[in-house]
Amino acid sequence: MLLEIAHLTVRYEKAVLINDLNLYVDTGELVSLVGPNGAGKSTTLRAISGLVAWEREIKRRSAGSEIVLEGTVTFNGERIDQIPAHEIVQRGLVLCPERRRPFREMTVLENLLAGAYLQKDRQKCRETLDKVYDLFPLLRHRSHQIAGTLSGGEQQMLAIGRAFMSDPKLLCIDEPSTGLAPLIRQEVFEKISEISRLGITILLVEQEVSVIFKMASRNYVLSSGKILAQGTGQQLLADEVLRKTYLGL
Amino acid sequence: MNIIITGLITGSMLALLAISFSLIFGVARIVNIAHTAFYMVAAYCIFSLTGKFGLNPVAGMMIAVVVVTVLGLLAYKFLIDPIREHEAAVLIATIALAMIFQEAVMLIFTGDYRTVSALIEGYFIVTGVKVFYQQVLTFGVVLVILGILWVLLMKTKLGLAIRSTAEDREVANLMGMNDSRLAMITMGISVALAGFTGAVLAPLTVLSPYMWMEPLIMMMAVVVLGGLGSIKGSFVAAYILGFTEALVVFMIPKGAFLKGSVALSIMILVLLLRPEGLFGISFEEER
Repeated sequence: MLLEIAHLTVRYEKAVLINDLNLYVDTGELVSLVGPNGAGKSTTLRAISGLVAWEREIKRRSAGSEIVLEGTVTFNGERIDQIPAHEIVQRGLVLCPERRRPFREMTVLENLLAGAYLQKDRQKCRETLDKVYDLFPLLRHRSHQIAGTLSGGEQQMLAIGRAFMSDPKLLCIDEPSTGLAPLIRQEVFEKISEISRLGITILLVEQEVSVIFKMASRNYVLSSGKILAQGTGQQLLADEVLRKTYLGL
Repeated sequence: MNIIITGLITGSMLALLAISFSLIFGVARIVNIAHTAFYMVAAYCIFSLTGKFGLNPVAGMMIAVVVVTVLGLLAYKFLIDPIREHEAAVLIATIALAMIFQEAVMLIFTGDYRTVSALIEGYFIVTGVKVFYQQVLTFGVVLVILGILWVLLMKTKLGLAIRSTAEDREVANLMGMNDSRLAMITMGISVALAGFTGAVLAPLTVLSPYMWMEPLIMMMAVVVLGGLGSIKGSFVAAYILGFTEALVVFMIPKGAFLKGSVALSIMILVLLLRPEGLFGISFEEER
């Protein structure tokens, strides 16, 4: 098991965002996390990548609202729930955040190099950069363009490319298709499949259930911070109630 | 000619102050009111090192910058860092810090006006105006420092991390950048630059325990004019205000009394017309 989440609970003040959640991802899998808005999908990714703990620390210092984070996250045989976010990346768990969030004022190349911040070996960095450019040829053409001037789809490619630069063992991608035109979405999904074929394990949060169920080896359906169901796309779609109520199909 | 020289010198000084102030604001959202107080401390350091201990002025400058940087880092570690996420508290704490410096300087050096002798004496005459070598030197050194800073920010990995953190702290964390460590480093750089400004400017100005207030206001005006967090903006705005100040002083009778108000009027005008400043980016707060 590459990633194992056990009894994860996240509370912001009194609001329970994630309630005793368990899930696992095996090496080489493409696992999806689907569910309605506010189900806790993004929070799950933020929790395992250390951002919830990071935010908790800030809130604690500013005497603001209280965040509770419980449970264990094991990655590659090591507990990472007590490790700060910037060290989790080092272990190969990389999050490509929601809404893409490129560094808008920097060039495409600088964005990619920022992704490789922890890579000390210049040669290796070059090689990874070439891989990213092969994966997303448009980034090569735009390498000196300011990221803020890219289109939404291009920014998404950049965000995925930047995460790829961090040399992930497990790549978590949060809602990559949101706000993109159907054709571009298609392209983004193709790129994700391509990365998966490169042997990188992927944990994907998405709204676009119909496409994702075909791509993913397993899926988790989340609702109100709990796992409601899990299985292959076919298994989940066979459940009439689940399909109508939670998947909107 | 006088206007150009004064404008260039004031502008360069403001540019250094404003850029270093923006730097730490960008990375850690720290509004360091004590920024120019560090500049004052550096100037007094040089005064006592060269005047009282008879040290070589260049060595005095080096030591002054080091002393101020260490002071800045200590202040950061024990005063600012524990309350870093509390913006109002940081504001108050740094005002207090500036006051502490002011009173300490007052106790040690008394409130008398002091001067520091120039590094190189003499002047040359261009179009009937005396240009002191010290002025040229100061201007040159400031440009060199700005150049080094540019290389540091744009061409090194540390610079990349600083810019990333300034733009999106959370995402920078996801790339493995340790934001608290970067805040500490940036604070060091920022304060060192303030100290450096004080060091190169000391021979051209009069030292008093209150000398931090006026540049503080001008620096704030520059930062607002240029756009909060924009280094290019700070650079351009510093020279705009530097030249405005020089123009007012030389063109208007008794202009020296007006220079501050003109600068602040420009700031207010910009705030009314373009609240994000000349080069500012409107900040999108997360969530």
